[in-house]
This record gives sequence, structure tokens and C-alpha cells, in this order.
Amino acid sequence: MDWDAQYELLKAGKAIPQAGPSYTTRNESNIDDDDMRPVLPGRDPGDEPERRRTNLILDEEETVATPLERLTRHWMNERHAPDILPAQEDLLMNLLDHLRRQSEAVQLLREDPSTSEEEHMRIMLVQTEIERVKFIVRSYVRTRLFKIEKYARFITTTPEVQTRLTAAELDHASRHAKITDQHFYVSVLQSLPEKQSHLDDTPLFVPPMITEPDKTRPVFVHALKQCPRIRLPDGATLEMEKGHISLMPYSVVEQLVARGEVELI
Amino acid sequence: MDYDYFSVEAILAENQKIQCTFKHAIPGMGHLGGGSERDIAVLSKMQIPIWLAYTIIYSDWAEFNIPQPFSSRVRNALRADACSVRLSNLVGAGGSWYGFGKTIMDILSDEQANEMSQMLTKAFRERLVDVIDQAQHFAALGQANAGGTSGNAAQSFREGLDTTERELFSLAQESAKQIKRWYEDSDRAKH
Amino acid sequence: MALPQSLRVSVTPPELELVASQQLVEIVPLISMEKTAFISGAYGPLRPPNKAKVPLWMAVNLKLKKKCHIIAPPWLNADYLQDRLTEETSQPAFSKLPFRFTEIAKVILDVASDDLESPDKIRSLLKDLREARQAKSREGLKTLDHSELSLPNLCSMEINEIRPYFVQSMSIFTQLVRNPAPDPLREA
Repeated sequence: MDWDAQYELLKAGKAIPQAGPSYTTRNESNIDDDDMRPVLPGRDPGDEPERRRTNLILDEEETVATPLERLTRHWMNERHAPDILPAQEDLLMNLLDHLRRQSEAVQLLREDPSTSEEEHMRIMLVQTEIERVKFIVRSYVRTRLFKIEKYARFITTTPEVQTRLTAAELDHASRHAKITDQHFYVSVLQSLPEKQSHLDDTPLFVPPMITEPDKTRPVFVHALKQCPRIRLPDGATLEMEKGHISLMPYSVVEQLVARGEVELI
Repeated sequence: MDYDYFSVEAILAENQKIQCTFKHAIPGMGHLGGGSERDIAVLSKMQIPIWLAYTIIYSDWAEFNIPQPFSSRVRNALRADACSVRLSNLVGAGGSWYGFGKTIMDILSDEQANEMSQMLTKAFRERLVDVIDQAQHFAALGQANAGGTSGNAAQSFREGLDTTERELFSLAQESAKQIKRWYEDSDRAKH
Repeated sequence: MALPQSLRVSVTPPELELVASQQLVEIVPLISMEKTAFISGAYGPLRPPNKAKVPLWMAVNLKLKKKCHIIAPPWLNADYLQDRLTEETSQPAFSKLPFRFTEIAKVILDVASDDLESPDKIRSLLKDLREARQAKSREGLKTLDHSELSLPNLCSMEINEIRPYFVQSMSIFTQLVRNPAPDPLREA
């Protein structure tokens, strides 16, 4: 899909298109920034690397602060979790907005014939990062889309799951469920007796017709802080210290994932 | 071994037949066992596919015997040396010994089901490391030497894997290949 | 399809490399650059010959254009890795290494081996470490059950390699165990 189209699609999914703080910043930044460098005014970028304190020595003691780091974590959680996790709409919009601002700045610099050699190196680096971020955003969105299509029927019949989807995702789920239902009906079900022509039977000895996420699927868990005690399937209990790594069924840590006390790795 | 309505594997697994002994005469249903008899007589034995057997057993029309792949003979062989048992021979090509066992386990009485669970779990655990070792061995050999001489016992073990184990074998093999590709693919070469 | 088959059960090594490349490394720049705001943060200014901290992806980019030297992280040298290897082969537990050491080491060795001291020695130590640690994962597989397996200090790429079959094996145990305890409830 074309990048701008995807952006518009995601944006359109918002119930109310908010002119959030990021939008205002963008407008200001384009007006104020005379030399159009992809440097963000309005805050001192100087303290960022210090604040991040990413330590390569031994312990990866990063405090997840930047939107990109947060999205990266949500992306990985989403990839590993069997269930659909709560949508990160604000975070995503914030990053999409930032991407657009960076792209626009790059575009302006490119068109400027007076751009120096040094500037070209900078443009190249900014462009490289844009591609990296786009990759993560795309993969995150597609990961959700995959689950949404797989569990479309389950979503349309389960209000609790619906709260974890964006408006656009929910709409996609309904349409996907509808299209597959119609396909099943036209190709098979209409030829069957009325009693057997439904897609939500729960006959005995047979799995339910509506596919649900398998929450017993194991996941690798990394404790981000000292976690409250959890009960394991064999009855034992476990209190994960910060930094602990375990493989266990997703259902055991579902709440910890939701509260951000662990990440899936 | 997934439990999903649309899983083809799950549907195929339920085609495994088990021997049922009927407790009642059932007129006009002789065709169920595939024979030419018109009626089902009391105490007659028939091979019934699992998907049908559920209803028959739960309705108390018939009892079933623990199928041969889980007989005491197999149990003893597994106890002696789990890796030397050819599970694939027990359930036929494409069959899942564990999946079949799990299905049977679910319709057994508590005590028997526990025994069945123990046998399945123990066999799976004792064979697992060998399954993975062999998969990684094959991934390391690469395309050229695959199928070469890696010992008769090893080859026999591989041929004896049931589909559940075969799936694990390919997961491990694919994973090892993927990381090998990554190691061999260098950024420097790209530029 | 929204997501290719191969991406549904795991994450690919290049994806992990992408994530790891966000980590900061020190470089000695060979060009100047003003402090610049990127999406992930502000980096620079670059003033040769002063060192600067930039994300690994940026260091790789500059290095490939011969615009910087990469300074190896403190753990990427033969002495440090030799100590870890000794520990690895004498202790039952996984020795403690940076979570994404495999990815970072490979990237730096690929593009900047000329910035490292004895890169071949480092390569061979990393290979030995990998093998020693793989043997430990294999021991872990022996104790796998339907409930939980602790793997302290196992690293990102190592987890990814064992993930498909560890996850699948544990799922199978879950199905073969009778009456697994009802949905585990968190204790207050």
C-alpha cells in the first residue's frame, strides 16, 4: 500500500480527527524553521541521549521513553501475543505525524540547490531513519491486521475485544467477517439444510466454529520490574524479579503484559 | 494438534478408527462398520471412526478397547527405549500418535486417562531432544549432504516420527537454517 | 495476507537486527554534522576527532561511507569474551551478556572489523560462546513441561532461534497433561 494512503487510512480511523499537540508543533516548526533543517524546534534535543541512558555494557537498562521505543515494544508484544492487544492509536498517530514532518523537511532540503555536501549526509541519515520507522509501523499494523482477519468472527461477537481495536480496525473486522460469511453461504451453506447452515454452532465433541485466540500458547517473557506473584499451570507460584526471563503460557502473564510489567521477547 | 474448527489436521485425526463393542442390538445400522450385515448385533465388534465413536460411546451403546497403538505391548517397548519405537508405523503415514492418544485420553475414565497421559507425556519428553538434535544436524549439513550417512539408528528414528514430531523437526530445521542464513549474509557484502 | 506465514510464529533475525541497531554506540566521526533531531532522538554534533554517541544504524551508515570509526562496546573484545567463555563452560547457568549482543557483534564485525582488535579471535570466541550456550538451551529442552521454564540471561537472538520448537513443544505438553489447573488466577 502507498505510504500516504496508509497514513490517511489510519488517520481516517480516528473517531474525531484531533488536532493534537503534534499537529500544532508541525505547523509551527515549518514556519519557524528558516533553514528547514530536520531539527525540531520547541524543545532542547540536547538532553535526549543522556535521558535514554542506553547502556551497552551489560544490562539493557533503557527506560522506554521515546515514542519509537514504546512502539517497538508494542510491535514485539503484538507479534508474540496470541491475543489482540489494545491498540496504541495515539502513539501511532504521533509517530506517523513525526514521520510526515521529517519527510517534508527532507523533501524541502532536497529541492534546495544550495544544500551543502554535509547537508546531503544528514538528509541521507534522516531518510534512513524514516525507512526504519516506517518498517516498524507497517509491521505493527500488519501484525494486528493478520490477527483481526483471523479472529474477525470472534471480534464481531465479543464486545470486550472490540474495545481493544481502533474504529478502522473494527470496521475492517466486520467487513472481513461479512465477506467470508457470504462466501461460505454462497459456496456451501445455502445447499445445506437450514439447521446446518450456520457458522456459529457449538456441536458436542467438535471445536466451536468461531476461532478464538489460543491463550494457552506459550510466550517468552521478560520482567521489566519486580512482578506480583503469579500462579503457574502446575500449581506452583512464581515471583519474577526484574530482568527475569521465562517461557510460559500467555494466559499466565496476560495481566502483566497489559500493565506493562513484562514485555514479550 | 491444534483445536480449531477449520483445522484440516484435526479433521483428519478424527478419521482414526477404534474398535467398539456394541452393548445393544441396533437394527438397520450394520453399514456403520462398513460390512454387509443389516443390523448391529449385541456384542458385535466394529471399527468406528472417532468422530462417530464419541456419540456412540457417550450414549452408552458401545464400549471401546484401547487401540493397538497404545496397547501394553507398545507401552512396554516405550518403557524399554522410547526412541526405538516407530510411532509412524503405529498410526500410519500422516498420522499423529500423540493427537490420536490425546483423543482417546479424553474419552477414557479418570484412572485410564491418567495412565494414558503419563505414557504420552513421557514418550514425548524422551524423544524430544533427539528430534531437535537431528533437525539441527540436518540444517547444518545444508542441501548438498542432506540424506547422507548419518547412521542407521538415526535414520530409523527419523522415519519413525509421527506427524506431531515431524512438525517439530521442520520447525527446528527451518529455524536453524534461518539463523544460518542471517550469519552468512553480511552487510559488507551488500555494499 | 496481512502477514506472511514465516512471520506468524516468530520474528526474523533481520528484524531483531533492526531493533538492536537502535542502540547507541560510540564513534569517532570523520565528518562534521550539526546536532540533528531524529525521530528517535537528537544526535550530534559530530566534530572530528571528538567521540560521539549515535545509534548503531547511523554508525553503520557512516562507516560504510568511510565517514567514521566505530568504537567497540566494552564487551566486544577478546579478553572480555574469553572471560565469559570460561564462565560459560565452567558454570551451569548462562553467563550474563548484553541482551542483543549477537546482533550488535555481528553488525560491527561485518562493517567495522578494521576498527576492532583481533576480530578473528573475537569471531571465534563468539562462535564458541554460541555453541556452549546452545548446549545449555538443549539441557533446558530436557526439563521443559507444560508450566514454566526459566531461562535467565538467555539473549534475544538465542530466544528467537529456539522459539518455534520450544513454544510448540510446550503447547504439546499442555495438551497431553490431564486437567491442567483451571485458568491460573493471579494472587492478590
